[in-house]
Amino acid sequence: MIGPFGLVRDLGRALDGAGRRLRGDYEEDEWGYDPSFAAAAEPLLSFLYDRWWRVTATGTEHVPRDGRALLVANHAGVLPWDAAMMATALRRAGITRDPRFLVLDWAFELPWVSVAIRRNGGVPASPYNALRLLEQDHLVMVFPEGAKGVGKPWSERYRLQRFGRGGFVELALRTGAPIIPCAIVGSEEIYPKLGEIPGVAKLLGAPYMPITPTFPLLGPFGAIPLPSRWRIAFGAPMDLTSLGAEAAEDRATVLEVAEDVRSRIQAMVYDNLIERQGAFL
Amino acid sequence: MTARRVLLTGVSGPLGARVAAALAADPGVEHVIGIDTRRPPGVLADRITFVEADLRGDELASILKVAAPQVVVHHDIVQFPEPGRSVRTLHDLNVIGTLQLLAACGELPGLRALVVRGSASIYGSQPDAPAFFTEDLARGVTLHTRFQRDVGELERLVEAFARRHPAVACTVLRLQPVIGATVDTPIMRLFRSAAVPTFLGYDPRLQFLLDDDAVGAVAAAVAVPVRGAVNVAGDGTVSLARTLRRLGKRSLPIAAPLYGTTVAALARAGVLPALNDDVVRYLRNGRGVDTTRMRRDLRFVPTHTTAEAIDAVAQAVRNEPAGAAA
Repeated sequence: MIGPFGLVRDLGRALDGAGRRLRGDYEEDEWGYDPSFAAAAEPLLSFLYDRWWRVTATGTEHVPRDGRALLVANHAGVLPWDAAMMATALRRAGITRDPRFLVLDWAFELPWVSVAIRRNGGVPASPYNALRLLEQDHLVMVFPEGAKGVGKPWSERYRLQRFGRGGFVELALRTGAPIIPCAIVGSEEIYPKLGEIPGVAKLLGAPYMPITPTFPLLGPFGAIPLPSRWRIAFGAPMDLTSLGAEAAEDRATVLEVAEDVRSRIQAMVYDNLIERQGAFL
Repeated sequence: MTARRVLLTGVSGPLGARVAAALAADPGVEHVIGIDTRRPPGVLADRITFVEADLRGDELASILKVAAPQVVVHHDIVQFPEPGRSVRTLHDLNVIGTLQLLAACGELPGLRALVVRGSASIYGSQPDAPAFFTEDLARGVTLHTRFQRDVGELERLVEAFARRHPAVACTVLRLQPVIGATVDTPIMRLFRSAAVPTFLGYDPRLQFLLDDDAVGAVAAAVAVPVRGAVNVAGDGTVSLARTLRRLGKRSLPIAAPLYGTTVAALARAGVLPALNDDVVRYLRNGRGVDTTRMRRDLRFVPTHTTAEAIDAVAQAVRNEPAGAAA
């Protein structure tokens, strides 16, 4: 809203909000999710969504409006931009629930970054956390490729890595949550990894330390993601309740379902790569 | 349940005295016998039988035999030095004291329940830890601090005792940090000091238990003996930043590599209270515990959530005279 009245009103609202924040009079749930902080990040995320990455989202109708569900997606980039863009896509589709996402443990040791991720709905990737979130009927995003997904070289882009031991399938079976396969195209180009700086990762306790076109050349500015063009596709939900909760104990079933989800996401990734045409323009 | 004789260790400590008073007021409890090396507060002394004894002393076994309690509450577990409990004796008290007490308990034929006041510090504070520890997760954690090792050892002793004496229901209460106007712990001293040193760029999730609820939880465990460990905490978690704002406290952000030396120097200068490793790690990484067992098995619901406990402390600290700060 532009114009003197709009500005005065916005300023008043901002001051009021700041005052409440300083008194500690704001909401925060038991996970440290902070809705007003998340709302403050909204303009930046909107800018990234509309202008920077020009995201096209499809299949948002597959995401349930309430109740537990597990969104399973391919993963790239050590910072959870993919989770943030998925959440923005859902908000744009009128899904007003606040999705939670599991983030590599390592990110929770970083100053500031860890706090920002947590306040936006990020949770350390632990099966205990995922189980509790699903039992509380949250919408949970997981990236089963984990560190293998984010650390793969440029030549391997969009080739989905092994889905670990299929822990996410166990979670879905135990909690009866449907799995919604999601494909994200564009996230692989934001930090193209050309090589690795040996030793440094070990020194910092990081899973890997990449060499990208902008990092370490531009120092901290290397953290600015490249403006690739993105597509996010949400697939049809897979209901596993017919297998029963006991199936979570059965390794063969778990691995089989995990491989099924992986191949569905891989196919969706290829489809969307063709749909997208240019990676940057 | 029928009237019982309850023996309580650490009866003269600040919380121990309140537990003793709560048990003495409980119609389900016939008699309270308190053990401590320190004198209990005068008001309490009339309502309980006080025996001045050291848990590590030779006379403990005979005292227990004469007292013949049905329930033993081991409340003399000390995390921080307090009057009559110097920093040097902490480990000795926690581990050797427990060892002697359990040995003496093993010779009581009438013993039905043992309640031990443990600590959620057993889980430690790690950035990649589960957001809410369930009781079975204590096995997997690496023990980093001295007190963590103490409670770890203490719980192993209690487990071994429980295995050898299946007739005795052994409960270990794992309490999250207790706060309240009547407690004097490093965390409460921090909440009373001018500023609270925080780790620059970190904002942990904290979980607290109000002192009244700590007393209530021990009383609940005496009433309903539960086997095994039970987490005890106020509902929900609150970030450190929000805690300090609700308390009206200033934070003093210090970069992580300089934190230890800066805080130690400020403590020497008398500006800040001395902080032990558990508190420092808690202020950096926080911790949450799952309280399903507390509600379901112990049938105990704290009167205050974590946020409400902080508000209660905020009110109490604000009303204290300025000179009261330690």
